[in-house]
Amino acid sequence: MSDLDRAIAQLRACRPIPENEVRELCHKARELLIEEGNVVTVNAPVTICGDIHGQFHDLMELFRVGGDVPDTNYLFMGDFVDRGFYSLESFLLLLCLKVRYPDRMTLIRGNHESRQITTVYGFYDECLRKYGSANVWRYCCDVFDYLALGAIVLGASNTLSQPAGSVPVGEDVEIEVCNADQQIISRFLRKGPNGAMGQQQQQPTTNGFSESGSSGPPAPTNTGPPGSGASGASGGSIGNPAGAVLCVHGGLSPLIDNVDKIRLLDRKQEVPHEGAMCDLLWSDPDEIDGWGLSPRGAGFLFGADIVKVFNHRNDLSLIARAHQLVMEGFKEMFDASIVTVWSAPNYCYRCGNVAALLELSEDDSGLGVLARSNGDVNRSDGGMGGQGPRGVLMENDLLGYNRAGPARRYRVFQAAPQDSRGMPAKKPVADYFL
Amino acid sequence: MMAQPVPHQTADKKRVKVYELRNNDWFDRGTGFCTACFVTIQEDQPKEPRVIVQSEDQPDRLLLETKIVKDDGFQKQQDTLIVWTDNGVDMALSFQEADGCQAIWKFIDNVQQQFQAAMGGPDDGLSDDLGMDMPAAIQLPPAELGALIDIENTLRNLSQSPSGRDALAKAIMSEDYIAKLIPLVEMAEDLESLGDLHHLCNIMKTVVLLNDTALIEHAVSDECVLGVVGAMEYDPDFPTHKANHRQWLNDQGRYKEVVRIQDDQVRRKIHQTYRLQYLKDVVLARILDDPTFSVLNSLIFFNQVDILQHLHMTPGFMTDLFAVFGDPNEKPLRKKEAVLFIQQCCAISKNLQPPARQGLYSNFLQQGLLSVINFGLRHPDASVRVGATDILGSILEFDPSMIRKTIYEQIQRKTPPLTDSLIDLLLVEVDLGIKSQLTESLKVLLDPNGPGVPPPDTRDGFMGKGRQHVAIDPQQEVFLTHFYEHSAIKLFKPLLDLEKRPTMKFNALEDGIFGYLNEILCFYIRHHHHRSKFFVLQNNIAQRFGQLLACKEKHLQLVAIRFFRHLVLLRDEFYSKHLAEKRVLGPVLDTLLRTLPRDNLLASACLDFFTSINYEGDRDLAKHIMENYREKIVALSHIDYFRGMMCRYDQSQGYTISEPDEEEEMARRPAHAGRGMMEHLTVDQAQEEYWNTSDDDEENHPAGPEMRLLPNGAPAKPLVEYTSDDDEDGSGDAVMTPVDSTSTEDEASKENQRPPSTPPTATGGPPPERLSEKRRREEDEDDALDKLMQHKRRNSSSAGSNSSLSAGILRKKQSFNNGGAKSRSREGSPNGASGGQKKISISIGPVLKTAAVRASSPGRAQATAADENGK
Repeated sequence: MSDLDRAIAQLRACRPIPENEVRELCHKARELLIEEGNVVTVNAPVTICGDIHGQFHDLMELFRVGGDVPDTNYLFMGDFVDRGFYSLESFLLLLCLKVRYPDRMTLIRGNHESRQITTVYGFYDECLRKYGSANVWRYCCDVFDYLALGAIVLGASNTLSQPAGSVPVGEDVEIEVCNADQQIISRFLRKGPNGAMGQQQQQPTTNGFSESGSSGPPAPTNTGPPGSGASGASGGSIGNPAGAVLCVHGGLSPLIDNVDKIRLLDRKQEVPHEGAMCDLLWSDPDEIDGWGLSPRGAGFLFGADIVKVFNHRNDLSLIARAHQLVMEGFKEMFDASIVTVWSAPNYCYRCGNVAALLELSEDDSGLGVLARSNGDVNRSDGGMGGQGPRGVLMENDLLGYNRAGPARRYRVFQAAPQDSRGMPAKKPVADYFL
Repeated sequence: MMAQPVPHQTADKKRVKVYELRNNDWFDRGTGFCTACFVTIQEDQPKEPRVIVQSEDQPDRLLLETKIVKDDGFQKQQDTLIVWTDNGVDMALSFQEADGCQAIWKFIDNVQQQFQAAMGGPDDGLSDDLGMDMPAAIQLPPAELGALIDIENTLRNLSQSPSGRDALAKAIMSEDYIAKLIPLVEMAEDLESLGDLHHLCNIMKTVVLLNDTALIEHAVSDECVLGVVGAMEYDPDFPTHKANHRQWLNDQGRYKEVVRIQDDQVRRKIHQTYRLQYLKDVVLARILDDPTFSVLNSLIFFNQVDILQHLHMTPGFMTDLFAVFGDPNEKPLRKKEAVLFIQQCCAISKNLQPPARQGLYSNFLQQGLLSVINFGLRHPDASVRVGATDILGSILEFDPSMIRKTIYEQIQRKTPPLTDSLIDLLLVEVDLGIKSQLTESLKVLLDPNGPGVPPPDTRDGFMGKGRQHVAIDPQQEVFLTHFYEHSAIKLFKPLLDLEKRPTMKFNALEDGIFGYLNEILCFYIRHHHHRSKFFVLQNNIAQRFGQLLACKEKHLQLVAIRFFRHLVLLRDEFYSKHLAEKRVLGPVLDTLLRTLPRDNLLASACLDFFTSINYEGDRDLAKHIMENYREKIVALSHIDYFRGMMCRYDQSQGYTISEPDEEEEMARRPAHAGRGMMEHLTVDQAQEEYWNTSDDDEENHPAGPEMRLLPNGAPAKPLVEYTSDDDEDGSGDAVMTPVDSTSTEDEASKENQRPPSTPPTATGGPPPERLSEKRRREEDEDDALDKLMQHKRRNSSSAGSNSSLSAGILRKKQSFNNGGAKSRSREGSPNGASGGQKKISISIGPVLKTAAVRASSPGRAQATAADENGK
């Protein structure tokens, strides 16, 4: 174990560990991951993170903002590697932490966790430079094949936890946006049971994030958090336990109408070019009806209707996903039925975006877990019996029905200060013949 | 008619003599000052580009006024001469100074380029401000420390516009401005003036990012490179850091020369290429924009091609290179470096045109490359072994027949073939990378279907299908025969040895091999039909893999399951029989039973395996399972799939009865019979009741016929006219979604809740297409980053989006109206009928019926690009 701690310390200093240690680490990780289902069950509280893309110093910043492992329970939604110059250190650190604290760290697979993609977008090249051979890349790719495809977060509360010394959180706060220094930028109240529009509670704040710009009274048709372009939440009566949250890198698949179908895939393989597994890692939500073809050439686009039906059928209150750059770090869509979380600030060292984490707090009322433990018999009917035919979705349902979403705290952060990281650069080739 | 002087021009530099060719003799028209500019001839006509020479002694007199037209054939000769043909007369301008000549030439050149670009009329192509953008107009501030701020601002301002960048690049080149800046770096360093160094860094960055090929080449030349990267060591974004680029690039030891390269120019090019790579990867890594990135890449590429061509063509070079291996007194280090040198050649050669690549490899092979590979494979140093497998890999990727031919010769000569060396190494190699490359090589070498690497295929077994009819080349026959007679036993020895193994405990080295052997064997089974069948049968392979199920290590159990699934997916009676005879499915069921309370990878893999057994199609296998492992199936019957299998068996009396018109429908079913296979998805009592009573309800729903299948898969009553060929919707799946209700929407909803009609890739998907793979590669650039960049463009095409959107709505409506009849209406147009397009019906709710078309061509991407606008 001390070896592992030493490796963690070395990686935290952004220094790669020797090849034989990588091999050992990958073997340990494999044993661990093989025991995980395709959809991992995670209990709140949890901090959900999006793409990292080898931006090691920003990952360190993420841990500073979100709390260190194992104090914070983390869920990373894939795309650890490629693009940035420290894919290797970032992924190995996350993997070390996974092996060291298996219950406090959940890693799921992103579309970049693939042999084919990493050969094109930098991870392969980086391993080659840093070790002189592609072995470490191969070890890592083997681990990629074992990564889970998604996660279900259970027991998330629909009230926010109360951080020490902060402004008290009211029961009706649904969304809170904080900056990296734990200051509250804005709060959004849950809609009342009568369907009244949510209200925004502006907190006096001194920070200068651009996305806090929507400080005025929210437009009646658009009451979401800044940058979300969506209404906060609707319908669900207060006090209803929050439904489960599905976390997946890309999005939904037309082949998967039911979370349990994900469990029937033999995931240990390179990400295929089509099919359910591919779609989960490649799809994007979009303002369309139904399914659309993805311009990415893999996966699909899916509209609000798809998300709502899926959430309804699976008794989910929210889908958290990553996969797309959002300048504000997070973006809720479709009446807060799906959120994109992006955790690579100033993506590619030049996009100028901020990053975000999504914190879901623990439900201590005891109601949340009870009603919808994942995988139980008739989960899809959980808690809703007697309210009319379930599983048969009527148009009214779509308009009026919406699960009370869990209370969400977004922590928005910027790229690590440049001086703390040295100049990002690839490792040059040491010797050359030609 | 007025000649307008070009602004800022310094006339004295453009003193010129005008000559005209008369009777083969240059006639001196006189000396004057030359200008080149646009002249207004008539008010309503576009301005014309003209070259004008005013007489020196009589300023009113024009020695020359010529309009630059397309076919004049202006040429610059030497440094001070411009020649052309004016109305059939050969003319020449001889400048006193090269600078003056250059300035005029730039104008002419510009105009001519405009002509070429416009291809037809000078009218639009030429604009008034072209004259203003004349390079002559650019005055760079003097290169001195005091002017750094001025320089930085000038450069920044000019680099805003494309024409400014162009002019700037030319001015910097012609004034050799970089060379003038370089001494300033050391001066500022001596003065410890960090501010100046930061300015210099910004200036150099701007210069390089002007993205001018000539400029960049100049910047990495021997004279300039250290100064250029030196300036960039002081990045104002990192005020407390200093990079050590100069130290890195100055290290002469980085360049290894195995065989002396005589040509200085080529050697310079090698260094230059290395510096370009360094520039790209390190110095500019953070700030590189896409155009500069591609300029650097293409410079590197062309240099590498030149270097390689030179080495290939230089007589004696290759001989000298390969002689290194032949000399017993040669130092081991040099031999090692020679392997790495060839490895680098091969890596670069991947960019060559096929004929050049072929030529290079033939040259290598003639010189004895195979023995070098052999030498490399046995080398104690892992990097050399990697090198050898890399070399082999790049040739195999290009044309495996080149290597096969040599192996064939080896067999004829009765010397041990290369494949045997590969096998030996595979079995003892500890390095994972080499192992997987060897696996790849062994697959490619034994692919009987000629050149080309098969598409990456990590899972299912349909790759071989279309290829079976390809004629097999007789040499390959000999090769294969030899392989199965002599080598196969050796290759699969670890697997065969399992038979005598008392316990399934392996050390780290041993346990890694099975995955590779599985991969190789699956490939052989797909491609070497009767040979591999015989091999599998004779060596009782299924049972050997079955033994792995007894391992503690789950990844080895997974190997076994993967192998069995591969055999099942071949849908080959022979292998089905083999699986049944060897009674290996029992242990898999045991594995599932053992694992099941947990939801882990192994359980998913087992379920995936069993659902790939189509209990209607693979009747024999299903029958075998039911007859032999009934108690296990009973134990698993809380899982719908197994219960379905059992019920079907019982109701059809061992799968012997089946209604012909239902057969095909049923055959397709298990492809996605994956309804609730996890035990916790057990259908509860209420649902059970529903299913038992649903018969009656159906009377009320005319849309129902397809739905008349009970969860156990048995038809409730004979199906009417249901002879679907192409409807892949499996009715049995309706029960995937627990439905408690018997409301009127039910029929529709059940149907709609069927999963889409494509079976999961794992079981029945078409082989991955190369095309889609390529597209993916290209289009991952559509990743978030690029989406951001393209945002504007997307918005601008919103018209297209609207139409595609409304089409989508139409489609939706239609499918809704058609309701249950839809699937039948599709029968008329089988999959693929519409130009390779595959239609997937994705039906989710009665209200929300959608359809998506997934075309198997790039058109698909285009079709949806418009949808992106929604955002």
